[in-house]
Amino acid sequence: MTLHLKMDDRDDRYRLDDMVQGLVGTPTDRPEGKLKVSGKASYAMDVLPDDVCHGVLVRATITHGKLRDLDTEAVRALPGIRTVITGKRMLRNPAQGMAGKAPVQGSDDIAYFGQPVALVVADTLEQARHGALALRLTLEAKGDAVVNPHDPDASVEMPKKEQVLIGDLDEAMKKAAFSVDQHYTTPGHSSAAMEPHASVAHWHGDSVTLRGSYQMLAYNKAELADALGISEKNVRILAPYVGGGFGAKLGISPEAVAAALASKELGVPVAVSMTRQQVFETTMRRSETNQRIRLAADENGLLTGIGHEALVSNLPGEDFSEPVTQATPFLYRGENREIVHKIARIHRTCAGSVRAPGEAVGLTVLEIAMDELAEKAGIDPVELRKKNIPDQDPTDQIPFSSHALAEALDEGARRFGWDKRNPKPRSTRDGEWFVGMGMASAVRVNMLIESKARVTLSADGRAMIETDMTDIGTGTYAILGQIAGEMLGLPMEDVETRLGDTEFPPASGSGGSFGAASNGTAVLLGCEEIRRQLCKKLNCEDADMTLKGGYAIVGNKRIALRDVLDGDTLVGEGHVQPGKAEKKVRQATYGSYFAEVGVNSVTGETRLRRMLGVFAAGRILNAKTARSQCLGGMTFGIGMALTEELIHDRRDGHMVNHDFAEYHLPVNADVPQIEVVLLEERDEWANPLQAKGIGELGICGAAGSIVNAIYNACGVRVRQLPATLDKVIDGLDEAT
Amino acid sequence: MVEVRSHIRFLLNGDDITLSDVKPDETLLDYLRLRRSLRGSKEGCAEGDCGACTVLVGRLSGGGLVYESVNGCIRFLASLEGCHVVTVEHLNGQGDSLHPVQQAMVDFHGSQCGFCTPGFVMSLYSLWMRTPEPSDAAIEKALQGNLCRCTGYEAIIRAARAISSYGKSANDPLALERAAITARLSALRDGARVEIGSGKERLVIPADVDDLADILVTSPNATIVSGSTDVGLWVTKFMRDIAPAVFIGNLEGLRIISETDGVLSIGAGVSYTEAHAVLSRHVPALGALIDRIGGEQVRNMGTIGGNIANGSPIGDTPPPLIALGASVTLRKGGERRTLDLEDFFIAYGKQDRAPGEFVEAVHVPLPGAEVKFAAYKVTKRRDEDITSTLGAFRLELAHDGTVAAIRIAYGGMAATPKRARAVEAALLGKPWTEETVEAALAAYAEDFTPLTDMRASAEYRALAGRNLLLRFFAETTGFAGPLTISRYKAA
Ligand code: FES
Ligand code: FES
Repeated sequence: MTLHLKMDDRDDRYRLDDMVQGLVGTPTDRPEGKLKVSGKASYAMDVLPDDVCHGVLVRATITHGKLRDLDTEAVRALPGIRTVITGKRMLRNPAQGMAGKAPVQGSDDIAYFGQPVALVVADTLEQARHGALALRLTLEAKGDAVVNPHDPDASVEMPKKEQVLIGDLDEAMKKAAFSVDQHYTTPGHSSAAMEPHASVAHWHGDSVTLRGSYQMLAYNKAELADALGISEKNVRILAPYVGGGFGAKLGISPEAVAAALASKELGVPVAVSMTRQQVFETTMRRSETNQRIRLAADENGLLTGIGHEALVSNLPGEDFSEPVTQATPFLYRGENREIVHKIARIHRTCAGSVRAPGEAVGLTVLEIAMDELAEKAGIDPVELRKKNIPDQDPTDQIPFSSHALAEALDEGARRFGWDKRNPKPRSTRDGEWFVGMGMASAVRVNMLIESKARVTLSADGRAMIETDMTDIGTGTYAILGQIAGEMLGLPMEDVETRLGDTEFPPASGSGGSFGAASNGTAVLLGCEEIRRQLCKKLNCEDADMTLKGGYAIVGNKRIALRDVLDGDTLVGEGHVQPGKAEKKVRQATYGSYFAEVGVNSVTGETRLRRMLGVFAAGRILNAKTARSQCLGGMTFGIGMALTEELIHDRRDGHMVNHDFAEYHLPVNADVPQIEVVLLEERDEWANPLQAKGIGELGICGAAGSIVNAIYNACGVRVRQLPATLDKVIDGLDEAT
Repeated sequence: MVEVRSHIRFLLNGDDITLSDVKPDETLLDYLRLRRSLRGSKEGCAEGDCGACTVLVGRLSGGGLVYESVNGCIRFLASLEGCHVVTVEHLNGQGDSLHPVQQAMVDFHGSQCGFCTPGFVMSLYSLWMRTPEPSDAAIEKALQGNLCRCTGYEAIIRAARAISSYGKSANDPLALERAAITARLSALRDGARVEIGSGKERLVIPADVDDLADILVTSPNATIVSGSTDVGLWVTKFMRDIAPAVFIGNLEGLRIISETDGVLSIGAGVSYTEAHAVLSRHVPALGALIDRIGGEQVRNMGTIGGNIANGSPIGDTPPPLIALGASVTLRKGGERRTLDLEDFFIAYGKQDRAPGEFVEAVHVPLPGAEVKFAAYKVTKRRDEDITSTLGAFRLELAHDGTVAAIRIAYGGMAATPKRARAVEAALLGKPWTEETVEAALAAYAEDFTPLTDMRASAEYRALAGRNLLLRFFAETTGFAGPLTISRYKAA
């Protein structure tokens, strides 16, 4: 039996609070941790059938044009080569998140440097590598491919629905007592999950099974089926363990389709893993952004107007564009508002989701501008933000669901010792170092996505959860187990969670911070259904039944679940869908960051000294995994502030720093002591768990606090991220 | 005549391995994952940058057995001749329980997606066996070569601090079996040369240094593979053919460090880690610099000789060695010649090394107590980063406070590691004062015309290069107040 819920309204039943097992919210260890530390968790390339062949992708070395020919004969003659796959089904780039259909296909048309055009398959990986190296491509370049978003020849789109105009911002700017009008840039970023994209495809008759490294299996199944031209029924995807995603593995990507095509042709399993360079160049990048922020404030620092303009880029034909301004419509007050969103069509690696698309870069820049306004108005940055928290969503004129920004700001300021900050830049020295503090707000929109899960309570009193949900490091295995354990009164060890198999009911997948809440709700509903069946057996009302430690307690009777079940197995499916609730209220998560940096007066190097994040995301389902998500998010923010930057060749757009040696993720030494505080909150509008997403909140605005701290330390305002040593040193003269 | 055999021998976890089908460019990681189905070690980059592939390699050294963490992805299989390879699969606790390192990682939540985890576990394992109660600095050092995109590292650091509360490293199987493994490895040493394959698949492991000299005379264009922290990338990143390859990592004769008359001679095969142990005693600033080369795995593999021989303009050891007045001995057959290290670097990618010749040792005159020496490496990222600019300074003052001797050398400022002779000239004989130093800054323009690349702009390099001299001045004069840089724009 399936229990459905469409989230049309608030849910103030607080079902979890009726329960007594005491699992939800606790810092429960991830059950799969043992496998991971022993190297036994099997990622995409860790289970290879004996007769597997290996494929290596071959990529275009032009930016825009045609693949005219490939010399497959010469390659086929090499030892061990089994086939060369190319043609109209090859993916140009990965599918965008939740596309549910194939992206642009075909190896004839080249749209960016590094686009995969062929797969060389051989008995061994070494042979396939040699074959790939030897494959001669005849490519015909179209002259003058546009590769820079600022190129006057770039075609620029301005989708109507992305633009907002309320009141008269120009007028507000004129009348403002204090104003900021500045341009900022953020570079492209890479998700850089540690596990490269990889797939092992295997056909049985008309059906293909793909073991891959993916985040959203229900969508990926549809995408793969569409790409191969077969029915979804004939596709099964397995991804029990995923070595990080951060957006890069939302949609099916070229290696999966190539592996499936090769396996079909050869009748043997085919494994294809991308090299690190391929992951950089042929999966997804976060678009670079060019932003202009205008802020108008009255003499008290109250905002009267906000303008946020963004230019981002993507390949022709891609419908995703970095939603830079996503949080600007509702974060701060201001009657006059203007939002401009432009997309330049250029020939660079496909742009897609990277952790917290939108706020990660848009809010960061807005928060730098807010710091500039605070400076001009002579108002403390924390105060300025608190003053400007609106009573309701100022754009859509709807109430907020739950809103803890003010509390996060106060709590953060108190814990960090913000009152010790000297607002005058360059007022604190420590030897060679200028020392300063900065802060920023955090905000991320919250979503609910359709999701299903099946819960089975078997006759031995143990529960099993099945869903095609993934755990990309987020803690799904732990969280779903906790929810089911809580609802069914079972200890963690009596709940087994099975994920990452499209044979199980389709889930939301991991993305957009919605996984835990959406899929957790489906599990909760499945458990409600089982509870209903248990009540029937016990002949009681749910309110009269307490489940705990494997027992049902009704009145003064305490009966082992096994006895209640009496040989029966109960199955409950949960199904949640988003509904009208999301239109009735503005739902988001909030927080604050505080950072202290040292800037070296000799070299311009910035060292983050300490950092604090305070976050509110509704009910926290697992204190450990939630905290880890925040830490990881803030670490992304450190990278964004100081080191991470995709560099493209000006002439052909190819990615110059396509490896870990030159694309600088934060290393251990870059990350100082980080403190994370999670505020108590419940959001009745979000879902029956009252929980909101937390996987991305920690990166939204984080870099802003660091860049603002650099200003406070040394007086250099960095508006072109990242704040590398050369940019900082460049400003030190003017700042004296 | 040396004896020749056509297979390599090593230990893998508990097993004795004999292999005759080894290609010169076959990596340890591919071998483990594809040929042995040992898939706990992961491939995150295949370039030595992420540490997901970390395994331990035990080798006999000076009669003892040392285990070190290495990057399996750029370590060649052939280089394991005579070694003991330990992978994550070899870690076990008592009965059903986890190994102390693993249990600590679970309890402190040091693993999220888990893909980096086996690599971290192996790095921590190596640390714990060496230093059961590590300081935070030691933990940081041990983890420099491991990237994690999920955790922000903090949980892993906390796990590292706690490992010894889960078990004693003295009771670890590797510690208990030390004598037995030593005996097994000693038995593998038969003094033979290994030759496998021909043409594009030929590899040679010389029996000793003399044998190496002979081999290079007959195969002068062979690729010499020492720690493979560079050559590994030629293969995994640039897909270059390296055959015939001559593996010299196991040659004890190249791993000798000796001191005569205040000159430290370091064999070309001495790893950064081994050199660090000695150099940090004599020249602490150099020790601190070596700590910032790559990560622990790279320092365990990479050699000072290799860093010199490959002649990179941004190699981290040549500038300080040049500043110290080091010389280098090259050998061809039975002939040896010794030249000043600075003269070894002729032009970009060109060194004074003839075909058939190899770097045998570098000689470092140790600075006395009267000498002031410093080396500063400037990078964008704090660790595991390629140098933007690196300045090394060696100063002797006369009794009257004038500069009696000064040697300054830079990396990242020219096509080769290079001395700042004009700056030196502007300082020599002058009083070591702020005025002298300020006046000498102008001479930088004579010495260097740096280039712009991804790591830093030309202007930045010029400016930071000069500022490092100001820092050196401030440090050597015990300058107490905050150092003020008067000008931030490059001239
Ligand atoms: S796989 Fe990244 S260092 Fe070896
Ligand atoms: S746990 Fe995911 S990369 Fe470290």
